[in-house]
Amino acid sequence: MAIIKVNNLSKTFRVKLKEKGLKGSFKSIFKPKYKVIKAVKNINFEVEKGEMIAFIGPNGAGKSTTIKMLTGILYPDKGDISVLDIDPKKERKKLAYNIGTVFGQKEQLWTHLTPYDNFKFFGAIYDIPDSRVEKKINKLTELFELGEFINTPVRNLSLGQRIRCEIVASLIHEPKILFLDEPTIGLDPVVKENIRTLIKRMNKEYKTTIFLTSHDVGDIEKLCKRVIIINNGQVVLDDSMENLKYHYLNKKIVEAKMKEKVNLDDEEGITILKDKGYNLKIEVDTKKRSVADALKLLNPDNIVDINISNMPLEEIISNIYKNEAEK
Amino acid sequence: MRKYLFIFKSELMSNLQYVFDILVGFFGYFIMLFILFNLWQYMYSDPNELINGYTMSQMTWYVIITEILWMSLGGRKLCRKICNDVRGGNIAYNINKPYSYIGYSLFSHLGAIALKALIYTILGMIMGYFFLGGFPTLNIFSIVAVLITGILATVISILLITFIGLFSFIIEDANPFYWLYSKFILVLGTIFPIEYFPTFLQPILTYSPIYVVSYGPAKLFVDFSFNNFISVFVAQIIYVFIGYILCTLIYKKGVKNLNVNGG
Repeated sequence: MAIIKVNNLSKTFRVKLKEKGLKGSFKSIFKPKYKVIKAVKNINFEVEKGEMIAFIGPNGAGKSTTIKMLTGILYPDKGDISVLDIDPKKERKKLAYNIGTVFGQKEQLWTHLTPYDNFKFFGAIYDIPDSRVEKKINKLTELFELGEFINTPVRNLSLGQRIRCEIVASLIHEPKILFLDEPTIGLDPVVKENIRTLIKRMNKEYKTTIFLTSHDVGDIEKLCKRVIIINNGQVVLDDSMENLKYHYLNKKIVEAKMKEKVNLDDEEGITILKDKGYNLKIEVDTKKRSVADALKLLNPDNIVDINISNMPLEEIISNIYKNEAEK
Repeated sequence: MRKYLFIFKSELMSNLQYVFDILVGFFGYFIMLFILFNLWQYMYSDPNELINGYTMSQMTWYVIITEILWMSLGGRKLCRKICNDVRGGNIAYNINKPYSYIGYSLFSHLGAIALKALIYTILGMIMGYFFLGGFPTLNIFSIVAVLITGILATVISILLITFIGLFSFIIEDANPFYWLYSKFILVLGTIFPIEYFPTFLQPILTYSPIYVVSYGPAKLFVDFSFNNFISVFVAQIIYVFIGYILCTLIYKKGVKNLNVNGG
């Protein structure tokens, strides 16, 4: 059963333009000029109950605008949204009781208060009786391993600890859907991994539907079974994670600084992206050759420095575009 | 209502960190009152003389009360915060919470200034007592009445400043409007009672916010009468209602056209 339904959703923004210099500034007072930006263009999708869905795209693609329309923050210009059979435009408050939101770039906690006091606050604003809030805090403290710092003011917490508290704060009222907008932004890899594990655990324990936006391919790979990719305000792909992995995430980028030059021409599954002096950048197609194999070809004794990364999201999207065009 | 009391409590708890800053800020209040006290002493050749119906002691107490109301209000900070919230898009993150933004703004600011108001009131009373050698004649009922009108005066000020701040939805920066409002209250409502102004101006001032945010509670403190209390109280209730309606209207209109940075 679909609990999020989006039909022909569109949103435009009017942005004021200003010519450069003092003259331009004066001109914009008397003759302001505006540019219309189509942030979201006729998008359609549905999300099933209990799903963990990744909603991804490059900067300015329309991800956050869509999330903000789904959560009732922004009004759409056109189209219909139904979240848990509620129209976010008409029944913001009713929707607020049923959803949770975490915006990685926006603090919702009171920084001078402890996480415990913050959770009590969130319990009160969602009209939850005190006894139930206490039980919920205890349960979530255990699940998200907050015991050590639950009585430390939020301003003294590390970013990773704070994000964990942000997620817990958004779960106090037991939302049916949790919207996570870049929850791992700015975190180091270890903390990222920890947050992902906790989100997974939460989804398993409470069957909460997760709607996640992220720039981090790792978040998506580890958490979601379905991916919607949005670019220039349009949905460019709505597919299972398995298919996306098979088609696009099977390529790893290996950047290495070598002691001696290596010739990898004609090696199957390896595409040379850059070969300048002793610096080498290759793309390994893991369907044809494992990363370990590729490293053997480079000869580990010959490597001074190495970096292995996923294909950047932007590249994945441009590949999707290319494939669509070829079709 | 419980959620708004929690908003008040959370903000109060957050502001407990700033007790020292409040005490330092009181120094400015002390200097201002000291100057005004000396000024009134100079103006009144005899302390029992009446100028526009006020003795020297009443005039000084009047200023002590209006300055407590004004200086503990933190109006500039509130206006700047709301302007920044609107312009920076922060206001958006309050929209999908199950409370009214106006209610949130009101109770969170009340929580932010509660401690300051309490400290200023206690220290202001002590100062007045030492400057003037005693308090005006008050009983339990009149003290409660003054407290009620004082709290309502603060509520109205917060609503009016919130309204000014929310003008940022329409114009780029509403702070200059706050500047005008603050000067209006400061010049016409804080230093002198309404009776000091020309006769033609007095009815205008009586219907203006000055009557409910500064003159009313201060006048009751220096010269309490039940009839006066009722007229101040009724006027304040009307102003609370008007302030809330104005804020709600501008907020609802603004939110519909909201653009948020980064989305």
